[in-house]
Amino acid sequence: MGKKVLIYIVLIALSLFYLFPIYTLLNTSLKTDEDLKYGPVAPTHRIFFGAYTHAFNLIKKQLVNSAIMTVFATIISSILGSMSGYIFSKFRFNGDKAVFLILVLGFYIAPQSILIPLVIFMGKVGLFNTYLGLILTHVAYGMPITTLLFRNYYEGLPQELVDSSWVDGCNTFQTYTKIFLPLSLPGFAVVAIFQFTNIWNEFLFGLTLTRGVTSQPVTVAVANLKGTTVAAWNMICSGAAITTIPVVLIYIFLLKMIIKGLLMGSVKG
Amino acid sequence: MVVKNNIPSIVFIAPAIILVLIFVYIFSGWSAWTSLTDWRIIGRMGKFIGVRNYIRLFAEDDIFRKCLFNTAKLIVIFIGVTVPLGIICAIFLDLGVRGKGLFRTIYLIPLSFSFVASATMWGWMFMPDKGSINTLLRMVSLDFLAQPWITSTKQSIISVAIVYVWQFSGFATLVYYAGISSVDPDILDAARVDGASTFQRYLRVILPLQKPATFTVLLILLMYSLRVFDLVWLLTGGGPAFSSEVLATYMYRVTFNQNLFAYGASISFFMFVLSFVVIIVPVLIGALKSR
Repeated sequence: MGKKVLIYIVLIALSLFYLFPIYTLLNTSLKTDEDLKYGPVAPTHRIFFGAYTHAFNLIKKQLVNSAIMTVFATIISSILGSMSGYIFSKFRFNGDKAVFLILVLGFYIAPQSILIPLVIFMGKVGLFNTYLGLILTHVAYGMPITTLLFRNYYEGLPQELVDSSWVDGCNTFQTYTKIFLPLSLPGFAVVAIFQFTNIWNEFLFGLTLTRGVTSQPVTVAVANLKGTTVAAWNMICSGAAITTIPVVLIYIFLLKMIIKGLLMGSVKG
Repeated sequence: MVVKNNIPSIVFIAPAIILVLIFVYIFSGWSAWTSLTDWRIIGRMGKFIGVRNYIRLFAEDDIFRKCLFNTAKLIVIFIGVTVPLGIICAIFLDLGVRGKGLFRTIYLIPLSFSFVASATMWGWMFMPDKGSINTLLRMVSLDFLAQPWITSTKQSIISVAIVYVWQFSGFATLVYYAGISSVDPDILDAARVDGASTFQRYLRVILPLQKPATFTVLLILLMYSLRVFDLVWLLTGGGPAFSSEVLATYMYRVTFNQNLFAYGASISFFMFVLSFVVIIVPVLIGALKSR
């Protein structure tokens, strides 16, 4: 009995460690300027959304930017990843394992290694500070993980699917569109959620590939909130909360798929 | 039966391969080439100067040495805390507690935060005068435990490590929990028949089977430790006095604030080599072994 109590104490203490910063963030974001002087821990005296309105007006353009770029990059990288994952899972060709490894290992290369050429390249081809530039970048860096996730997903589908559709006279493409795509919905859900949360949260590429608000993602805008005003912590926290809430909700309501994605992408990798 | 191909597979994998070849491998090579020049102004390519940037980096640059030291310190604290914490949490959750789903959700929520949001939040937590942590300590009369956190050269990198633990320990718990749950029940029954206590079962039977989980966790944690940028840049700015400067922030500072492109590229390429040696080589060895 005593042991069980100890276990619960540890688990609950850890929960508090995870939740206390989030409490601080939300509590502060709901305070009036006046209320701020009582500090971040004391509960807000009344719930006030003024800081949210203020922050929202400062970052709304970037929220739209992020939404557009994230949606497109997620869709494109999921489709391309599904195509290559399908091949690597179900077909053999000379050097397939080596090609697969080279592709997937790209995931582990630190983005800083390629940052300077990336910025120069985007400038040269006229994609610096454009949606397309960032979408292309996110799609390219998404390829290793989306390929890996889909390869692992398709490993769970039997090889006989390919064989029997060949007997029916389908070629590789028809087998993909008629047999595999309809069975891929759960795979797409996992991969798309994985990609969406990662791209929405991304900062470094957004910081280096944009200038001004035209195509700036919301992470960069929120980071800039800190510089604009002196310690308007309620507004800064509101901005951070606005960008975080969608992802947290995805995590809470689609936790099973998140977990699947995390385990599929790492354990078997 | 494995089918021979009719429409070349290459059509399906070409987009992925071309994108990764260009954006990852060719660009890394481009960084390597740039690092051998003295290029610093946009619009004019630099002259080839051999490995002079690297000599400067390793022999003369005290800040770079500090970055290496700070990165090592971050790795030791971050991984040293996260792995045992993940194992303990996973075991506790495995012991049949109530509300397992709720705990697991709570533990994974930090992973959903962008580093921008967590840096904002923790920046507010760590403020020495008004921040949440010190305020909380004062409220419960533990003033003597209040710390200078990110404003101290001794604690800045520790503060970064704390945020990283907050963000990633749920991930470690998840992977270990999955690993522990997948242990064959027959093995556990056999151990039980042999009279092993719960504690012995975990220590002698279950934990030795967690090598793949440990490999995964270490890989991901190492990857994030080597490339940490957002969090440091926004939480401490690498300071005070470069006490939390890491490779990625220094690379960014040198390249984009000081416009020393070639010198920045040498740090870039060093990071490529580091990623390769620390992460890719173990993955390759793992892939070869499992064949």
